Amino acid sequence: MADVHAPSVSLPLGFILTGIAALLVGASWLTARPINLAGYHYGPEVVAATHLFVLGWICSVIMGTMYQLVPVALETRLHSERLARWHFGLHLVGFVGMVMMFLVWDMKQVGHFGSVLATGVGLFVYNLARTLARIPRWNVVAIGIASSLGWLSLTILAGLYLAAAKCWSFSPFEPMAQMHAHAHLGGLGFFVMMIVSVSFKLVPMFTLSEVQNHRRAGGSLALLNAGLAGLFVTILLSSPWKLVFASVIATGLAFYGWEVIAILQARKRRNRDWGMRYFLTALALLIPVSGLGIVLAWPRLPATELTAQLESVYGLLAFIGVVTLAILGMLYKVVPFLVWYASYSKAIGRSKVPALADLYSPALQAVGYWLFLVGLAFTSVATALGHESCVRAGCALLLASVTVFIVNIGTVLSHLVRPRLMPLDFKSTQPTNTQPPS
Amino acid sequence: MIDETTLREGLRLVVDPEIDCNIVDLGLIYGIAIDGTRVTVTMTLTTPGCPMHESIAWGVKCALLNLEGVEDVEVDVVWDPAWTSARMSDYGRIRTGIC
Repeated sequence: MADVHAPSVSLPLGFILTGIAALLVGASWLTARPINLAGYHYGPEVVAATHLFVLGWICSVIMGTMYQLVPVALETRLHSERLARWHFGLHLVGFVGMVMMFLVWDMKQVGHFGSVLATGVGLFVYNLARTLARIPRWNVVAIGIASSLGWLSLTILAGLYLAAAKCWSFSPFEPMAQMHAHAHLGGLGFFVMMIVSVSFKLVPMFTLSEVQNHRRAGGSLALLNAGLAGLFVTILLSSPWKLVFASVIATGLAFYGWEVIAILQARKRRNRDWGMRYFLTALALLIPVSGLGIVLAWPRLPATELTAQLESVYGLLAFIGVVTLAILGMLYKVVPFLVWYASYSKAIGRSKVPALADLYSPALQAVGYWLFLVGLAFTSVATALGHESCVRAGCALLLASVTVFIVNIGTVLSHLVRPRLMPLDFKSTQPTNTQPPS
Repeated sequence: MIDETTLREGLRLVVDPEIDCNIVDLGLIYGIAIDGTRVTVTMTLTTPGCPMHESIAWGVKCALLNLEGVEDVEVDVVWDPAWTSARMSDYGRIRTGIC
């Protein structure tokens, strides 16, 4: 990921570390203020916390990783590292300002900081679009990434429209419908589309397999795109047809799941590391999220307190369940690689360098994985019931999982400061027999 | 005079850090040509767009330049024929669990 095609490792690491800091603040926030999940979800603090997660955590990490991954995975060069560094500064100012202004519900300032963020996103989309423009051959990964960039642009425009509509009350649409449409553009269009697209490259790469059916993979992207276009409009218009488009999206995700299963069945690397387990578990969580999405899209669903809480569970499972878990899994691949590249790539063949798996603790990965799943299950049930104390307990487990993750990533980062190089041991690499070395 | 066996042993010092196996037993080396003190290695990687592309190619150069009698190394990474696990040695297969 960090070779002649990619920018220097400090660029993605800057985004990633910003994202991890936002995740820690966000998880601490929810633990300290469980009412944000146990109560109604449309208030200044919930909107602020949501934007901390989606912009500070998820967008930061995805954008930083894309600068690294897209050029290498698609065998081209990043158009401009300089633009990417400008984007980082704008992103940081934009999302921090937005979160703070949401908290005090100053929508005019939200619009100003949102414009700063949007300028950064504009640079990001332009930079990656120029990068995509020179790839040697288009494939399902490139098409998916291009789609997700399009949806990201629409999400930002919709967000600015929302802020402006709050200031000047000109919008003909119902406020909750606008917010839900905006959230689906970002969540499905940018996050899920990006996860689906890059997984067609990363899952085969890490499991030594390949995409088994390109038409099925492309079909899943087409269904997601078509479904989301329809869903956005029907949510905005509060139309009962949103159920149809939610079903189209669920079908697209089913095709995607089918393809991932086929890729895994054809894999040559049988042992699954924890990074892949995190990622695949996140994909499995798409099933309950899709199911809940279809229930919530049902025409004439009564607007009860339970329905409102189920909407919170839907958002929780989507952003904290699917997207966060997928990102944590991929970060266990990306961060060790970036650190390894910075510390060891020039020593390979000259000194004995550690393998990527030597940089972190699998035991901590396992602890973090189970803490996360139990915490997510606990928080989801407690949110559905609107039980504040249980939400706090569930969020505390999620916070513990995040803390374990940070400790493990800290171990990886320590190799930047203190590389562990050893003299070459010629004998250890020779196949004196067919038994693996102990 | 350098010989291919010595060069292959030298290349065993280059390990793919993601898979944690040396590139010879992974079956990544397609050919070695020796012309006096100049060596040309034709090799592949497990997947096109492999993030370790440059690092491994660099490692091959360094490992071979460490050997006595080698003064110049060229590394040619090719994708055709594509790598398959059938190219791995028994040692590589057992070490990595790749089937």
